[in-house]
Amino acid sequence: MSDGASDPGRVRTALDRAADRILDASVYERVGIAVGSTGLALLIGLVIVALAGYDPLRFATQLVVGSFGSERAFARTLQFTTLFILAGVAVAIAFRAGVFNIGVQGQLIVGGIACVLAIVWLAPYVPDGRIGGTGLVAVGLFASVVAGGLYAALPGALKAYYGANEIITTIMLNFVAIGVVGWAVDGPLRPDDARSVRTEYLPDNVGFPQLLFEYPSFSLVGLGLALVVVVAISVVATRTSFGYDMMTSGYQLRAATYSGVDARRMIVQTMTLSGMVAGLVGAVFAIMVQGYFIDPSGLGTYGFDAIAVSLLAANNPIGVVPAALLFGALDSASSHVQIHSEVPVQLIDGIVGLVVLFVAAPELFRMIAERTGLGGDRR
Amino acid sequence: MSLAELSARRGVRLGGLALVAVLAVGTTLVAAFDVPLERIVTVGFVNRALLAASPIALAAIGGLYAEKSGVFNIGLEGFMIFGAVTAAAALYGLGGTDPTQWHVWAAVVTAVAFSVLLTAGYAVLLIRYKADQIVAGLAVWFMGLGFAPFAASLIWGTVRSPGLTRVTQYSLPYLGEVPVVGPILFQQSPFVVITAVVVVAAWVVLYRTRYGYWIQAAGDNPEALDTAGVNVNRVRYATVIFSGVMAGLGGAVLLAHAGNFIGTGDTMVDGRGWIAIVAYLFGNYNPLGAAAAALLFGGLDMLQVQFQTADIAVSGRLMGLAPYIGVIVVLTVWGKTRMPASVGEPYETEE
Amino acid sequence: MSDEPPAVRLEGITKTFGDVVANEDVDFTLERGEVHALLGENGSGKTTLMSVLYGLYDQDEGTIYVDGEPRSFDSPQDAMGAGIGMIHQHFQLVPPMTVLQNVVLGNEPTRNGLIDEGAARERIEGICSRYGFDVDRHLDTPIEELDLGTRQRVEIVKTLYRGAEVLVFDEPTAVLTPQEVDGLMGLLEDLRDAGRSIVFISHKLDEVLAAADRITVLRDGRAIGTVNAAETAEGELARMMIGRDVLFERLSRETTPGEPVLEVEELRVDGDRGLERVTDVSFTVREREILGIAGVQGNGQTELAEALTGLRPVESGTIRFQGTEITDTGRRQRIEEGIAYVPEDRQTEGLVQRYDLVRNALLGNQTVAPYSMDGWLNWPRVSEHAETIVREFDVQTSGMGADATSLSGGNQQKFIVGREIGHDPELLIASHPTRGVDIGSIEFIHNRLLELRDEGLGIVVVSSKLDEVQKLSDRIAVMYDGEFIDTVDPDVVTEEELGLLMAGHGPEDDPTGNDPDTEAKL
Repeated sequence: MSDGASDPGRVRTALDRAADRILDASVYERVGIAVGSTGLALLIGLVIVALAGYDPLRFATQLVVGSFGSERAFARTLQFTTLFILAGVAVAIAFRAGVFNIGVQGQLIVGGIACVLAIVWLAPYVPDGRIGGTGLVAVGLFASVVAGGLYAALPGALKAYYGANEIITTIMLNFVAIGVVGWAVDGPLRPDDARSVRTEYLPDNVGFPQLLFEYPSFSLVGLGLALVVVVAISVVATRTSFGYDMMTSGYQLRAATYSGVDARRMIVQTMTLSGMVAGLVGAVFAIMVQGYFIDPSGLGTYGFDAIAVSLLAANNPIGVVPAALLFGALDSASSHVQIHSEVPVQLIDGIVGLVVLFVAAPELFRMIAERTGLGGDRR
Repeated sequence: MSLAELSARRGVRLGGLALVAVLAVGTTLVAAFDVPLERIVTVGFVNRALLAASPIALAAIGGLYAEKSGVFNIGLEGFMIFGAVTAAAALYGLGGTDPTQWHVWAAVVTAVAFSVLLTAGYAVLLIRYKADQIVAGLAVWFMGLGFAPFAASLIWGTVRSPGLTRVTQYSLPYLGEVPVVGPILFQQSPFVVITAVVVVAAWVVLYRTRYGYWIQAAGDNPEALDTAGVNVNRVRYATVIFSGVMAGLGGAVLLAHAGNFIGTGDTMVDGRGWIAIVAYLFGNYNPLGAAAAALLFGGLDMLQVQFQTADIAVSGRLMGLAPYIGVIVVLTVWGKTRMPASVGEPYETEE
Repeated sequence: MSDEPPAVRLEGITKTFGDVVANEDVDFTLERGEVHALLGENGSGKTTLMSVLYGLYDQDEGTIYVDGEPRSFDSPQDAMGAGIGMIHQHFQLVPPMTVLQNVVLGNEPTRNGLIDEGAARERIEGICSRYGFDVDRHLDTPIEELDLGTRQRVEIVKTLYRGAEVLVFDEPTAVLTPQEVDGLMGLLEDLRDAGRSIVFISHKLDEVLAAADRITVLRDGRAIGTVNAAETAEGELARMMIGRDVLFERLSRETTPGEPVLEVEELRVDGDRGLERVTDVSFTVREREILGIAGVQGNGQTELAEALTGLRPVESGTIRFQGTEITDTGRRQRIEEGIAYVPEDRQTEGLVQRYDLVRNALLGNQTVAPYSMDGWLNWPRVSEHAETIVREFDVQTSGMGADATSLSGGNQQKFIVGREIGHDPELLIASHPTRGVDIGSIEFIHNRLLELRDEGLGIVVVSSKLDEVQKLSDRIAVMYDGEFIDTVDPDVVTEEELGLLMAGHGPEDDPTGNDPDTEAKL
């Protein structure tokens, strides 16, 4: 770069900036689709509210109040957000690498029950108090990661080595997890004195410390853990050879093979990593929210909603955080609406469905944007 | 050729697998629990199994058609929920809490009509706007889980409807009194008969008419169909709408057999749409096979009732998992499913 | 000839794709009842010309006459309606459906709403007996259970069933075994004798001579000339096909090959469909040496290159790299040991289209120091690497942040070559290193390869361009039907002789061949 380097250099920077703008545009586009989907779904929801004879403005206010209007509501929002972040990241990992893990729900159930079992079984051998509790939490988290990972590795291996479609097998394994764990918590794992279907309670010293929030089902430690996972996964994806292998497989499998990736092993590894994070969702649910494990058919559909969360975030681990906040807020608002509004709370589930539906069809929004001229320049 | 042998063996293997499963369950029961089989397989059981199987079979036929043509309609469960709640709402709207049989039929027709509208929109999203079929299908399920109980709450104030009415079984004089065959064939829900007719008709259309050829070609090599001068997307619109309508009909039939709507948890449909997908996979995309699989699952479902009456302590919940595990085993042993080659890919004609 | 107008006449057809001229002012006449071959190298515009006829593309200029009438086709259906059918390389058949179902698809005879199988059967059997096809023996067999030759005959019967008078065969022998090729030749004759007119697209000299009555040669999108098959020979055709004017100057240089880098013994490799594609290939590549592998595409070069680089398993034989056997090692290990690979398909293999140049600079190097240490990536070093490639290989780009898609073909290729040799490999396998690349970039890539050779690298260049292998190679191995049929000295061999070798005429057929000493080197 000795002679005349400055001139082409300047040209290059200008071109760089132009290229960056194009890249930004596609990020804007993604955000636009996400916001558009959510906005349109909410709008349809409000129209339905009005058609049903209720006051849509009041309902909208209740959504906001129910999710951010009080410390309790906010904590509840964060509680759901925490679970959605982890579950969303689990989905994002797999989708990013081109593997359709629809089985996060099953993996989180298996992870959750493994966590509870590990803690309950080990508790008698561990000293009471803070240190013992922390140790048990660590063991529980570890158990959930291992169990979730293994439960996801199975369909991964079936796909890689036997060609079994992972969409179908993971959906089937969801049912299997719900059925087997449901049977277990109603049978062998149900304490004699339990009035409802559940496992033993976790010992009192097991839990995340309460910081700032008084709300019993949420701890900043849990949210912190989720954010650590987000950062860790982002780092793995962008800064390691393994992450590069994984992303490249998702973008262009043949190029990945060319670059030395063993495509089959990659599928298994991706599923395992995805399932490990999914398992963690179950552990956080058990430790932070519930304090024991319940019949998984009544658990909530975090693993399925997570697909929407991840797609809303364009399968980007960082993007999962705001998307999870949105879903957390909606779930939290429905707890509020259930008590304080005459509008049947199931409407919110329907709205979530609409969000997912619109996220599935980005072309719809591109078309709308082009028709209305709102989208600006398209590549 | 070895390929021919292989494919012949595939079919045999699949049937064999199902047979082995049934035999294994049977043997275990007889051996381990010392159960007289005649207390399990009764006429009442067969009737209950047929009743349980028909909604599943209807949805399976629909899903099979869509997938054969290259569109994976993973939203069957959702469309069944919509069908059930629409039928319940129509039944209540027409006849209040004391509807007549005519109202039942009108309600089913209403549910079908509503399904046409709903799936037409869904088909446009999938085909025109190339929506992701997996995600859009899940979305329909979520919407069903939300909007159906929501509608129930609006109408009845709770997510359950009050007791409405069931469809009455027809009963042919004299024939209905023939032992065994009589109660099964001649004292039956009309919807079981309709299901049987739909199944056979679906088989005939798929394998014996030009539309069936087009559907198969649209799923396996849309380009070949296109060059043969048939509009691929038009075929797919037809099958997607048909699949939603069949699922909606399945939901309505479920309601007509149950007599009231339940919107708690996973609603009264409770995974039957998913089982329908499993059923047609199990049935190797053949309408008759899918119906047989639906009957198998209906039977497994009703086995729990038999066990209770026979005092056998086998968890019905674990028994109910057999189909799911069966599917995983089949997919694995069988390797790649005989899934149509172009499922999930939007088709665009070359300009 | 009769007074009847020709079956098809194309007049002054020009078709461009962006800046690329695929056909330029091409005239072509297909007489009734003849087999007319359209001969040319890959990319010479044969398929484009026939796609214009078949309604797949609109020509920019020129007119299509069918039976003397000017026609324009918007779709294959239109063309089909005018009696023009095309048998594609990729069959338009539905694999799980039976032969009968495939043949009648879109034109099903029905009775009372159901398919009238009897009528269909009768009509198909009529066609088969008329033209001597055996397809009617398999009417109820699913397509997927048939071999490729039979599938092709089904495709032909399907086209005839739809009433085609003119049949265009696009590289029909590409997927066939030699026996199936013989069968096809017979069928073409029968079809012609029954009054059908046939266009036979091919790049194989011997085949067009065997099959065609007349041959039109295309080169670089232009029609070079039309000759009667009976009055020409392979030599003339090769000359017309390749042309003299594009020959590169062969650089004189001294050859001092060093130690063996790559030793291959009796290698056998299967293709995607389990057919053997590489048969008993043995050779050695030394330091400071370029081995050129010439041949018409599809004669096993792809499979050979993939086997050498670890992308495809070997059925038997051994591969030794710097004296160590690597026959069963994986792709990644071979990269790490210093085997670089410029892949045949830069779009799907060589670059990740949606990655920027920095991330593409890492492709293949993600476990190689200094870009990766203990699994952690060193992006600044990768960035530097990308910048070095762009600078040294003169890659025209808007910047490191540009996606690979934004680069032109030539610049993509330069980037890949730059990346592959950027970390001092011991051996470079380059498949079609200049395919689809502009003249300037070709020159540049060639010079770099020669420099690298002089620096001591062992190089294998796979190419179907004769001028390229002649310019670059120290030795040329010609591959035909999975075998090295001869190895020749590029300083001695003429391109006509090379053309004959590529058409499968080994030295035993052609005593004027080559210096036996060159062969002895193997």
